[in-house]
Amino acid sequence: MYVGWAARRAATNAIRGPQSALTDFLASHNISAHQIHQEHQRRLREAQQQAAQETGEADENKENESDPGDEAVEERKKRKRKEEKAIMKIKQSKEFKRRKFEEKIKKRQKGSGDDDDSDYDDDSIARNMLYKKAQPMPGQFENCEICEKRFTVTAYSKTGPEGGLLCTKCSKELGKEEKKKQQPKKRGPLKGKRRQTESDRMMGDVKPGAKSLVEICVRKVVANIVDIEEFGDLPQTLLDRLSQVLSQKRALDPRTLEFFLQADSSRIAIYDAAKLETDDFEKIFSFMPELEDVNLRNAGQMKDEVLLYMLDHNPKIKHLQLGAANLITNHGWLQLFQKQGPKLESFKTCDLDAALDDSAIEALVQHCPNLQRLKLKKCWQTTERSIQCLTSLPSLHHLSLSICPDTSAETLSTLITTIGTPLETLSLESFHNADDTTLTAIHRTCTELSKLRFTNNAICTDAGFASLFSNWPNPPLPTIDLSDNRDIDNQNPDGPAERPIGLASMGFQALMTHSGSRLEKLNVKACRHISHEALLRVFDHEKHTYPMLRDMDLSFVAPVDEVVTTAIFRCCPKLEKLAIFGCNQVRGREVRIPAGVAVIGMMDAQESVVVEGGWERGDV
Amino acid sequence: MTVRSTTDSTPAAGIDSASSSTSPMTTPSPFVTLISSDGFEFHVRRSAACVSGTIRRMLNTRSNFSESVTGVCHLENLNAMVLEKVVEYLYYNEKHKESRDVPDMEIPSELCLELLMAAEYLDT
Repeated sequence: MYVGWAARRAATNAIRGPQSALTDFLASHNISAHQIHQEHQRRLREAQQQAAQETGEADENKENESDPGDEAVEERKKRKRKEEKAIMKIKQSKEFKRRKFEEKIKKRQKGSGDDDDSDYDDDSIARNMLYKKAQPMPGQFENCEICEKRFTVTAYSKTGPEGGLLCTKCSKELGKEEKKKQQPKKRGPLKGKRRQTESDRMMGDVKPGAKSLVEICVRKVVANIVDIEEFGDLPQTLLDRLSQVLSQKRALDPRTLEFFLQADSSRIAIYDAAKLETDDFEKIFSFMPELEDVNLRNAGQMKDEVLLYMLDHNPKIKHLQLGAANLITNHGWLQLFQKQGPKLESFKTCDLDAALDDSAIEALVQHCPNLQRLKLKKCWQTTERSIQCLTSLPSLHHLSLSICPDTSAETLSTLITTIGTPLETLSLESFHNADDTTLTAIHRTCTELSKLRFTNNAICTDAGFASLFSNWPNPPLPTIDLSDNRDIDNQNPDGPAERPIGLASMGFQALMTHSGSRLEKLNVKACRHISHEALLRVFDHEKHTYPMLRDMDLSFVAPVDEVVTTAIFRCCPKLEKLAIFGCNQVRGREVRIPAGVAVIGMMDAQESVVVEGGWERGDV
Repeated sequence: MTVRSTTDSTPAAGIDSASSSTSPMTTPSPFVTLISSDGFEFHVRRSAACVSGTIRRMLNTRSNFSESVTGVCHLENLNAMVLEKVVEYLYYNEKHKESRDVPDMEIPSELCLELLMAAEYLDT
């Protein structure tokens, strides 16, 4: 709708004074008060002009009515003179100037660009204005330009494309069209693309070249999931990948669930069962009698009756992983352990705050003698008693606990000492009261570990960690996670200087000395007391290489800077992913990153990051 | 473009070449042949074909597979439409090996499931 290009430009350049609440309200609905005012004024002016002309012409006509005969020629002459007078008058009006400007713009857009017929155009514009019926005043009736409906003209009536007025319906639709035209401009094409590249980089996807065909097809399948009726006979690895991507896109619902229900399959993994109802869970178990491995996350709607059905219909289940199954009661858990317990080899569950209390864990221990893997994360109904009764599990090889943060150090030590010997995986997260005695227990008992996680503690000392890794008969570990082991004291953010808390310089060096040769995945996020010297000493490429290290997280370790990162690239030839969130001393512009390494979390991570193509990591 | 086929329908894709039979003494020819279940033969540059892990292992001269001697791979579980797309991908992958931010190759939706199974089988 045309207020007039010039008028709009003037409006935006002008200084804005305070505006009334009404104007603000109208502006929020894309109605410009200024625009309406101008329209109104324009119509008033035109109406006045028209009235003046009509009266003028009427007078002149009266005078000339007396001579009919040779009036023909004279009349024509007079009419012409009148016309020219009127046109002259109009040309002086503001409205004419506005319309002329519009015509110019239109012409420029069309691309004709000739100025020769400008006079001719002026005349035609003026003539249009003269003979066209002036727009009626507010309060009068008018036919809508687009739909021909009769409506009352108000100050808010919009002008149509041809200059006529529109009824309320058509003006609304015109408004919508305008909005649509304006909106696509908001998002530049580069913005979406940058987000996608950052997301891919986080997934470690920085290798040059095209994605694998499997990956391209998985994405295509998920994009067209609406049209697909069944998957056919896909191997389990592909089904797993499809389940992951579908869950990520939140497209896993009762309809797409059917694709995964293969009657002879022994495994099912649904990574986000949030959209599934209780009946859908039952369907899984009834369609797949051969199930041995069940992994259902976000299984919010799974109830006791489903568990009981499963216990009757799926006798082969050995591995069970349930996430957030909060509708299952303690009674349900008890039934599960009593009936299926002897066959269970792994049991993993997380995010339970309604049930699974100490009595349930006791039942677990009592009825599951063959349990090899146990993972209990964020099961809020459990207390220290649960941890104490875990000492009775005879054949655990993998233990992950992230419950009862207030457990005493003594209980933990007892647990480790009792069942720690055969453990290959030990994960103790957020045990706030654990201390150096816990670390000593690990050092003394565990000799088979390949994965160690001990996080979020503010009591264990650097000396304790150093002792853990020094002269430890356990072979070098491929996976170590010691994140968030640091002092928490707002008065003293650097921690005590004399006896550092958490994983600091000595502990870090001992760690790398012990496990550096086999280390593949290392996480020391937020161990901020590790010193700059220690980092340089560890990543000194003349003395050490870490041939298998591919994934490292040094986020929030403040001393990390470009010198450290360069040193890291030199001594870690297989490095694929390095996370440095919160490392403020690393500036994007100066870091040189070898090809194939995903560095995530860097400040100023934009196109200015220089990724070296041919730079080999062995080069000095 | 040379595609020899026993049936009389489209697609025509194969890449042109002179495929010579290899004797064990000479160096292996730069082109190999991939044959679909319905008899279409695709002559493909060896380097592109080896983008697929499965084909690479089949053609490995150190193995004793007949394919490594003859340079011909019969892919009985892929039909010609799927194999054509696979060959297109092999060349696409080889061409963009060194570039960054490579856009995904276009795949028609009707083929995507079969192509997925083929890609999994071919380890590509």
